[in-house]
Amino acid sequence: MNKVIVISKGTELLRIPAHRLVYISADGNYSEVVTQDNRKRIVSYQLGQIEDMIGDQLGDDGSNFIRLGRGLIINLDFVYWVDVAKQALILSDCAGCYHELTASREVLIKLKAYLDAIVRND
Amino acid sequence: MTDKNRDIRDDEFRVIGRSPQHETSTEDVRRRNTGVSIISAIIVLAIGILAIVMWPKDAPEDPNDGVFENAPEVVTPGAIVRLGVETDASFTEKLDTVINDVHLSLYIPHNAKPELTLGVPDRNDKNIILAAQAADIRRDNQKILGAFVLKGEPLAWGLSKKGFCAIIEDKVTVGVSENSPLFEEATEKGGYFFRQYPLVDNGVLVENEQKNKTMRKALCSRAGQIFVAVSETDESMHDFAQALVDLGVENAIYLVGSHSSFGWYIDSAGEKTLFAPDVHRGTYRNENYIVWR
Repeated sequence: MNKVIVISKGTELLRIPAHRLVYISADGNYSEVVTQDNRKRIVSYQLGQIEDMIGDQLGDDGSNFIRLGRGLIINLDFVYWVDVAKQALILSDCAGCYHELTASREVLIKLKAYLDAIVRND
Repeated sequence: MTDKNRDIRDDEFRVIGRSPQHETSTEDVRRRNTGVSIISAIIVLAIGILAIVMWPKDAPEDPNDGVFENAPEVVTPGAIVRLGVETDASFTEKLDTVINDVHLSLYIPHNAKPELTLGVPDRNDKNIILAAQAADIRRDNQKILGAFVLKGEPLAWGLSKKGFCAIIEDKVTVGVSENSPLFEEATEKGGYFFRQYPLVDNGVLVENEQKNKTMRKALCSRAGQIFVAVSETDESMHDFAQALVDLGVENAIYLVGSHSSFGWYIDSAGEKTLFAPDVHRGTYRNENYIVWR
C-alpha cells in the first residue's frame, strides 16, 4: 500500500502516504486525521466525505481502511488490541505510535470477527 | 463524492472501497484474497454507467443543504433484532453502546418475573436480579406521583404523567395514555401499575419540560423485550429519548434517575452492582421499585 491520500479544500491540501494514516475520527462537521508520527490535523470534511475520498483514491487498497460506526475510520494494519468487553480499541505500530480509542461493543464484535476471518483465510 | 452523508449506525462496520453489501463476513475475506474484486469492479462500472444514463438531468439540489450546515442526515432504521443472549439462567445482562454520542447501558433481565415493591427492596435478596426506582413521590407530602397499583390494590390515582407501565400476569406493558384500561385490569387481576414521564411513544420521541442534564434511566420495550436503559453520562431528557428512538425502542417511560437514585443488578457471575454510588440519603415510605426476581 504505497498510495497517497490527498485531502484538499480551498487553499489547503493534506497529503499522506496511505500506510502512514492510522485513523480518522469525526468531530462534527470536521474530521481529525492522525498519522503514524502521532501528529493530528483537523480537516473541514465530514467523516463520510473522507470515507468516499479513500475509496475513490485507493481503490482496492481502500479495503485496508474500515469505517467503525459514525465516529471512526481506522487502518487495519495498526489494530493492536480489541477488547469488546471494555469497548477498547488500541491502534499501535508497536513502536512509537499508540492510540487508545473507544467504539461500540457491537462494532468491535464485528471488527474482531473480520480480523479473525482474515487470519483464517491468509 | 456524490454520497457525502452515507448512512451508518454506531453499531455498523464497513470496509471502505467496496460495496456495502459485502460487509464483515468471512466470504468477504475470501473474495478479497481470490481476486473477485475485479468482477465486482466491472459490475460497479456497469451500474455506474447505467446510473449516469438514467439519472435525471435536472435533478433539483437539496434545498436544505447549506454552505455552513449540511442537510439533515436521514437515518434508515435497520432490522430490529432482539438484544442480548439466549439463556436459561436467571441474571441481568448488561450491554454497553453509544448512540449519537450518548453512552447507554442496557440492562436486560433474563428468566425473571417483574413486580413492583413499596419501600426499598431487601438488598440481600439474591433472587432480585434487577431493581430500579419506579414512580416518583411528591416532595410536599411524600405521596406517590401518579396512579399506582400494588398487587391489585390501587394506592394512588393521579394523572400528572402520561407514561405508564402495567405488569399483569407477569407481562410488562409500557405505553403512553391518559386513561389506560390497564389500570383497571391491574386492579382486577392482582397486577401492578405506575406512571412516569413518557419518553418514546410508538417509536416517536415525546418532548418533556425538563431541560437539565443528569444521569437518565428508562424502562423500554423493543422487539418484544423489556429492559432498563441508563445513560452513563449526564444527558438532557430530549437527547436521552432521542438515543432510545435511534436504538429502535418502541415505547419508553422515565424511571427515577439522577445520581442519587438507588437500584442494582446481578450479572451472570452473580455479582451485584449498584447503578449509582450508594450515597447516604433518606428513605421514604412510598419509595417504590420495579424489580425482577
